[in-house]
Amino acid sequence: MSRIKKAATLIVSGVLLLLVFMYDVVRLTVELGDTGFLFLRELAVVAVMVGAFLLMRDYARKGIGAAIKETGRLLIVMVASLVVAAGTGMLAGIGFSEGGASSMPQNSVTAFFSLVVSLVVGTASIQTILTIKELVYHKRKRGTRRNFLTYVVLLLATAGFSLPVFSNDLAILGTTTFVLAVIMIVVNSFRQNWIVFLSRREKIYCIIYSALLFGTFLALSLVLSNRTFLQKAVLFFSVPLERFVLLNSMYGAVYFGMAFITTLFHLPTAEAYERKQSELSSLHNLGRLVTQVFDFNDLVRTVTHMTREVSGARSAWLELIRQEPAGMRVEVVSANNIDESVIRTVMEGTEFSPRQFVMESKKALMIDDVGADRRTRHLKGRGLSIGSLLSVPLVSHGSLVGILHATKEISYGFDQDDSDVLTTLADHVTIAIENARLIEQSLERERLKQELMVARDVQKRLLPDRFPENPAMDVSAHSEPSLEVGGDYFDFVHLDEQTVGIVVGDVSGKGVSAAFYMAEVKGIFQSLSKMTRSPRELLIWANETLRENLERKAFISAVYAVFELATGRVVLARAGHCPMVLISRRSNRLIRPNGLGLGLTDGELFEQSTEETVLTLAEGDVCLFYTDGITEARNGEGREFGYDRLVELATEAKDLPAMEIQNRILSEIGAYCGSSGPEDDLTLVVVKWLGKRPKDSKVHQGDHHE
Amino acid sequence: MSEFKVNHRDGEGFSVLELKGYLDAHTAPDLETTFQKLLTDKKFNIIVNCKDLTYISSAGLGVFMAYIEDVRKNRGDIKLTNMSPKVYNVFDLLGFPVLYEIYKDEQEAATKFRQQMKKG
Repeated sequence: MSRIKKAATLIVSGVLLLLVFMYDVVRLTVELGDTGFLFLRELAVVAVMVGAFLLMRDYARKGIGAAIKETGRLLIVMVASLVVAAGTGMLAGIGFSEGGASSMPQNSVTAFFSLVVSLVVGTASIQTILTIKELVYHKRKRGTRRNFLTYVVLLLATAGFSLPVFSNDLAILGTTTFVLAVIMIVVNSFRQNWIVFLSRREKIYCIIYSALLFGTFLALSLVLSNRTFLQKAVLFFSVPLERFVLLNSMYGAVYFGMAFITTLFHLPTAEAYERKQSELSSLHNLGRLVTQVFDFNDLVRTVTHMTREVSGARSAWLELIRQEPAGMRVEVVSANNIDESVIRTVMEGTEFSPRQFVMESKKALMIDDVGADRRTRHLKGRGLSIGSLLSVPLVSHGSLVGILHATKEISYGFDQDDSDVLTTLADHVTIAIENARLIEQSLERERLKQELMVARDVQKRLLPDRFPENPAMDVSAHSEPSLEVGGDYFDFVHLDEQTVGIVVGDVSGKGVSAAFYMAEVKGIFQSLSKMTRSPRELLIWANETLRENLERKAFISAVYAVFELATGRVVLARAGHCPMVLISRRSNRLIRPNGLGLGLTDGELFEQSTEETVLTLAEGDVCLFYTDGITEARNGEGREFGYDRLVELATEAKDLPAMEIQNRILSEIGAYCGSSGPEDDLTLVVVKWLGKRPKDSKVHQGDHHE
Repeated sequence: MSEFKVNHRDGEGFSVLELKGYLDAHTAPDLETTFQKLLTDKKFNIIVNCKDLTYISSAGLGVFMAYIEDVRKNRGDIKLTNMSPKVYNVFDLLGFPVLYEIYKDEQEAATKFRQQMKKG
C-alpha cells in the first residue's frame, strides 16, 4: 500500500468512527427504532475493521524468517490490549444499565470507551489471525491453505449471521457456522511445522511465549463469554465483532496451547537437530576447501574451523606428516582455539601419545574421559581444559598424510556420529591438501625448469664459440646435451702460432652432476695445456687432479690431440675415450692408443697404461673426435648407430668442407634415432686437413650452437 | 626402454651376479643395491656374469668403480666373465681390463678365486 492510500484509509476510518460514536450518543438518549441507520452503522464498523485489516496486513508481511519474533510481537499486542480493556473497565463513572436483551451504556463516556476497547481488541484479533496464518502457512502442504481459508470463511459467516439486521431465524445458522469454525480451529491447530525449524534458544522462548499467549487468549475468551464489561462494551459496539474476537481468541488459545505442547516435545531433540543442521551446512561447505587449494594457509585454517563447526568441539588442530630424508616429521599446520604448548603437552606423553596411536593404527582415536582414561590420566589436573579428545587420520592412497584432532572441555563430549562426520571431513581434507601439494609441486617444478634453462645457457658459454682458423685446417664442432645440461666437453687451445690442441671429453652419467664435473674439466684442461705440450703428460696430470675430486663412481673419458700446423704431425693421447676416426686417401682407421679413463685409478697404473700416438696428416685427411652419444645413438629397435656407419658416412662426405661433413653426420643420426631423439649427450668435432702452411693462426667466429 | 635384471646366487666361496639387459643411469641403482647387500653380508668374492648383458653405459661402469675399492680392501675381488664382444669393447675402451680381471666364463673366475684363497 502506498503512503497516500494508508493515509486515506486512516482518515476514512476516523471519520466513520466519529459518525458511529455520534450515532451512539444520540441512540443513548433517544429511542431509535430505525433499523436502516443501524444497518448503516454496522456497515461503517465493518468498513473500519476492513481498513484496519488492510493496514495491518501490510505491516505483518515480513516473512517467516522471524517466526519467533512474530509470536513475541503478538504476545505484546495481546497483553497490551487486555490491560487496556481491564483498565478501562475499572475507570470510575463507567457502567452499563442492565435490562432488556442487551446492556446499554450508562452515559456517553461509557459509549466512548466501549468504542475504544472494541477497536483495541478488534485490531488485536486481526493481528492474531494474521500471525497464526503466517505460522500455519510455514512449509505448507496441499490442504493447509484450504483448511485455513475455510476457517476464515466460517469466521466471517459467523460474524455476518450475528448482524442485528438479520432476524433471529438466522441465529441457528450462526450457531452452526460457529461450531464448524471451532472444528476448523482444532484442525488448523495441528499445523505447527514452524517450531521444528526454531533453534534451541528460540524454542525456549517459544515455550514461554506460547504459554503466555495461551493464558492471554484463554482469559480473553472467558472474559468475552461472560457478562463482563468487555463483553458488554464489544457487544454494544458491534455484535459481529464480538463473534469475530471470540472465535479468534479461542483459536489463539487452542493454537498456542498446541504450540506449547509441541515445543515441549521438540525441546529434547532441539540440540541434535541443530547439530545435524550445522553438520549438513558444513559438509555443503566442503566445496569451499577445493577452491582454497591455492592458499595453503587459508585451507588449513578453514579445516580447523570446520572441524569445530561440525563436531561442536572447543578446539581443533591439524597435523601434517611430511616424509623427509631423516624420517617422518609431524608439523602442526593450523590450531584453532588451542595453544601450541598445550598440544605439545598432550602429544608428548611419555607412555601414550594420541599422535603415535593414530600414526601406528591409521584409525580414529576417541578418548571419552581424558582425566580417567589410563592412557591419558597423566594430563589430569594440568589445567588443559580437555575432557574428551577425538583424533582422526588423513589417509591418502593407504599412507597417512596427517591427523585431525578435536577436543571438548567436558568428558564424553564426542559420540560415534562425531567420529563419522570428522572421518568424512578428513577424507575431503585429504583430497584438498593433496591437491594443494600437487599445485605447489608443479610450481616448484616450473621454477626448477627455469633454473635449468639458466644452467643450460651458462654451460653453453663454457664451450668455445670460436673455432681455430688457419690455412692448415678447417674445423667445425657441435655439442648437444640430451637433457638441459650435460657432461660433454670440447675445447680448442692455441699452444702457439703453429700448434693447436683439440680436446673432447665425456663425464660419466648425465644431467646436473655431469655438468658440474664438465665445468671442472674445462678448468683443468685450460690450465694444464699451458704447462705441457705432451698430450699424455696432460692426461696424467689431469688424472691426478680429478682422482682427488671425483666421487668414486664418476669418471671422465677424454681424447687430446695436438696438431702441428706446419708439418701435419699430430700427437694424440686417449683416456678411455672413443677412438679418433681418421679418413685418409688410402685407408680409414680408428686411432686408439691405450689409455685409462680419468679418475678410475691412481697415478702409477694410469701412467703405465696410457700411451701416446703420433701420426702425420696429408691434404684432404679428415679427423673425427666425438663422444659415445654418436656411436651409441639407438634407433627404434634398439640398434646402435655404431662405428662402421660413422666411418662410412665420413668417407662419403670427406671431400666436403668440415661443417658440411658435420651436418651430414648429425642429420643422419637425427634420422636414425627417429622421433625419440638422442638419449645421450652428443658431441662431434670435425677437422679437415688442408695442408697449407700457415703464416699465422687465427680463430674465427663459429656457429656450433644449436 | 629395455629392462635390466640382476640375479644373485652363491657358489662355494664366492657370489655370482648374473646381469641381464640394459645397464644405464636408470637401471644402475638396481645393481648398486645388490652390491651394497653383498658388502653388508661380507661377501667380497664376487663374479659378475655378463652373458645376457646387452648394453652398459658409463653410469653402469661407474657402479663397479664405486665398489671395487671396498671389495679389494676386504681382500676380495670383482671378476667379470662371459662378456659379449660389444660389451667388452665398452669396458676395453675405458681401460677396464687393466683394472679388472675379465674371464671367458665363470669356471675360470671361480678357479682363480680358489687359488687366491689357498694363497691367502
